[in-house]
Amino acid sequence: MKIEKEPITGNYGKFEIDGVKHRIYWEEAGEGIPLVCLHTAGSDGRQYRALLNDKKILKKYRVIVFDMPWHGKSSPPENSQVGHYKLSTESYISQIMSFIDGLELVKPVVMGCSIGGRIILHLAIHFPEKFKALIGLQSAGHLDPYYDISWLHRQDVHGGEVCGGIAYGLMAPTSPENDKFETMWHYMQGGPGIFKGDLFFYKFDGNIGTEIKKINNSKCPIFLLTGEYDYSATPEETKSLADTIGIEMVKMKNVGHFPMSENPKEFLKYLHPVLEKIN
Amino acid sequence: MFRSLIEKNERRSQLSIMAQYLNTCFMISTVDDEYLISIEKGNVTNVEEGPFVMPSYIFKLTASKNEWLKFLQSTPQPGSHDIIAMLRRKVLKFEGDLHPLMSHLLYFKLLLASLRPAESNNEN
Repeated sequence: MKIEKEPITGNYGKFEIDGVKHRIYWEEAGEGIPLVCLHTAGSDGRQYRALLNDKKILKKYRVIVFDMPWHGKSSPPENSQVGHYKLSTESYISQIMSFIDGLELVKPVVMGCSIGGRIILHLAIHFPEKFKALIGLQSAGHLDPYYDISWLHRQDVHGGEVCGGIAYGLMAPTSPENDKFETMWHYMQGGPGIFKGDLFFYKFDGNIGTEIKKINNSKCPIFLLTGEYDYSATPEETKSLADTIGIEMVKMKNVGHFPMSENPKEFLKYLHPVLEKIN
Repeated sequence: MFRSLIEKNERRSQLSIMAQYLNTCFMISTVDDEYLISIEKGNVTNVEEGPFVMPSYIFKLTASKNEWLKFLQSTPQPGSHDIIAMLRRKVLKFEGDLHPLMSHLLYFKLLLASLRPAESNNEN
């Protein structure tokens, strides 16, 4: 059988983030408005495989997905040691802005899920003029810990098994099993302590309090979409966030915490109108 | 309510492989009723229904009968579809030595989900 080649190009590139050399992997496809996609905690850019293959989107958007440092095919920064990874708000913003500057992208749209859905709120607060629009998937202003995340990185528990088990439950029972399995598989492949290190941002450092009121939707349009089965960032929490900003939110049926990966077909039904509106 | 965990071993051969080194005993409580479940090499080998005088177990999962019934629906509603989702809503309590549970988290999720009606069974 002849190989059906996908329109995705993979790239490696070197640049500095906060003065430290990094080697980063990213994938892209399509032409037009840059659409930079941010993956969830403990996973990598493969979560956006459906977007990178969606003909309708690729006609008008240049979809770009990078693996965060320590994730996927991106290397750890120089002089790193296992067990010392902790994502801070400041470093997360730096890597996104450095990547965008490094690729010389002008007024991109940035879409992030989970931790990515949180960081777009920080981008909206600090750099609204830099973006054409921001899209938050599974966005919430803060998250109080509801389980002991130390289980995600301890030497007497297989990290891949437990991270996969956590991710599995965050998906909708109605999502296709194959897509759910692949989404979980990405989690099973993460490095030791990386998911936990990302959650430091998600559950502690990246929590936004009253600062959320600084978001001005007229400076940069914000769109919020949340899956109904997500219990990490619930639709109710996104609604509360949307009310504070003064915008509408979309509750996506039949999906959970990883809409673009666990049920791409359902997710694209919700994303297409948003991208049409931005365009 | 959880007696049939022992009746499905044939269908759970793949699931057992996920926990082939697991030997443990845990309790599921509906507050009114208690079930003591023994696992050997990933297979459920015994389910004993209470009341118990001095039950011995490694960890315990407690939720009301109503919450367990919602979890066991063929297509559970958001918030009832996963034991961590129930933990988040504070309707399920984890107690005891959680190492067997957390080190085999997916196994236990799928084991419990195997009690749902077959059409939406989540076994891999």
